[in-house]
Amino acid sequence: MKFDSNHLVTQRIEPHTGWMPLNLHEVYEYRRLLAIFVWRDVKARYKQTLAGVTWVIIQPLITMVVFTVFFGHWLGISSGDVPFPVFAFCGLVPWTYFVHSLTVASHSVVGQQSVISKAYFPRLLLPLASVLGGLVDLFTSMLVLIPLMLYYGFVPGPQILALPLLVLLAALTALGVGLWLAAINVRFRDVNHAMPFITQLWLFSTPVAYPISVVPQAWRPLYELNPMVAVVEGFRWALTGETELPLRMVLISGGVALVILVAGLYWFRREEIMFSDVV
Amino acid sequence: MGEYAIEVSQLGKRFVLGTRGLHRGLHQVYENAVRRTVGRLKNGPQQDGDTARVLWALRNVDLKIRHGEIVGLIGHNGAGKSVLLKILSRITWPTEGYALVEGKVGSMLEVGAGFHPEFTGRENLFLVGATLGMELSEIRAKFDNIVAFAEVEGMLDTPVKRYSSGMYVRLAFSVAAHLDANIMLFDEVIAVGDVNFREKCLQRIKEMSAEGRTVIFVSHNLETLRELCPRTIVMNHGHIQHDGPTNEILEKYQHPG
Repeated sequence: MKFDSNHLVTQRIEPHTGWMPLNLHEVYEYRRLLAIFVWRDVKARYKQTLAGVTWVIIQPLITMVVFTVFFGHWLGISSGDVPFPVFAFCGLVPWTYFVHSLTVASHSVVGQQSVISKAYFPRLLLPLASVLGGLVDLFTSMLVLIPLMLYYGFVPGPQILALPLLVLLAALTALGVGLWLAAINVRFRDVNHAMPFITQLWLFSTPVAYPISVVPQAWRPLYELNPMVAVVEGFRWALTGETELPLRMVLISGGVALVILVAGLYWFRREEIMFSDVV
Repeated sequence: MGEYAIEVSQLGKRFVLGTRGLHRGLHQVYENAVRRTVGRLKNGPQQDGDTARVLWALRNVDLKIRHGEIVGLIGHNGAGKSVLLKILSRITWPTEGYALVEGKVGSMLEVGAGFHPEFTGRENLFLVGATLGMELSEIRAKFDNIVAFAEVEGMLDTPVKRYSSGMYVRLAFSVAAHLDANIMLFDEVIAVGDVNFREKCLQRIKEMSAEGRTVIFVSHNLETLRELCPRTIVMNHGHIQHDGPTNEILEKYQHPG
């Protein structure tokens, strides 16, 4: 007999309803498949168009130019001691990562019907792969940011070591919200249509095109509940050293992001059962 | 090891259809609410259950399969064969009852499962292998065998969107055939290949049984069933209608009454 009977594990397959355990250890078990999914998404994106790589760079660059002209010059919004292009690009790098990861994550279950209906794996892998895959684009856009900063005479100081933590905060937020959207999208396909609207509102609620000083003090507590505020302000501090470390905001944001993430994980797991039936 | 590789008890799977269908937009929720309210105003209070259409794809299914058996599964379209295999593969979940599965399940439920059209044969081999549960080292070790079985040597670096449907099936089957699972489930996947390939597949499946693996094989081809499967299960509208030696079953199937 080829198969050693002593090592066979019995699984019990039975109805599941309600709140399910997170089973995060299973995500670890399937980590190689996660890597394959990330590889697949990144490779597909970069393989299809030569512009795939350049698009990652062109999009934030052009947006930076538009912001500099509209907000910096025409509207005359002050970016403090930092030239507007640097000010804008420092915010655009983490913002582009967040928006991209969030959008891809929200579509990650609905768009993967072919794989979901054929194989078993923890569905958590799908939005997770989106958030991880976005890191490659983030890295590419950083390669543009550094020369830009050097051109304007900004040499990064030791604060730059805080960047990975800020990226982690952005990733956790994207994952948390992405889990909610991915699960809701399965029930209500409206989410696909709503995404541009959601991301646009979120952009206005984040100090990417304008400095945070524009926001009235009365609104600040509410405003700072947005974790991307801390990420963007943190990026500016870490890269230019011209602003103060937004420690309080980072801590609040970390808390908010964790709450959204944990709630999102439980909601996603609860809805996961019916994905293959509905998608 | 227990006596049975697969044990199914009172398994049921219910789908909710129609107005309660899930993948609508928010506007559908409003419409349904309005429709229900108007209905109640007109006809008085009603049970909510009346408005939902329900389909039992499987009901009261009991089944025991021993290690090493090759079992044929036949039935009309919609009889519940695919749903049963999907539940055993943990792709979908039962509404009632339970299934006990001893060991690892490998399934080939549809042709071209998980292939990415822009990727080459080589890349897809890794992608599908990993999706079906193979370790990367395992895929590398079995790479040459998989390619040889599928007879796609020259086409490995071409995107699979250029493959013929035959090549597609051969590659997909070949990956599944090299899975290290003691329970293998096949859902009508061999029909697309040519005669030579079908022979190869049947031969491979016979080898699986000799290795002690358990196989469930769905087919509409009665001759294949007779050749391959000592035991056949007939499904009908979500229930098991017959379960026994293939020769007897085919007698009944071909000459009912």
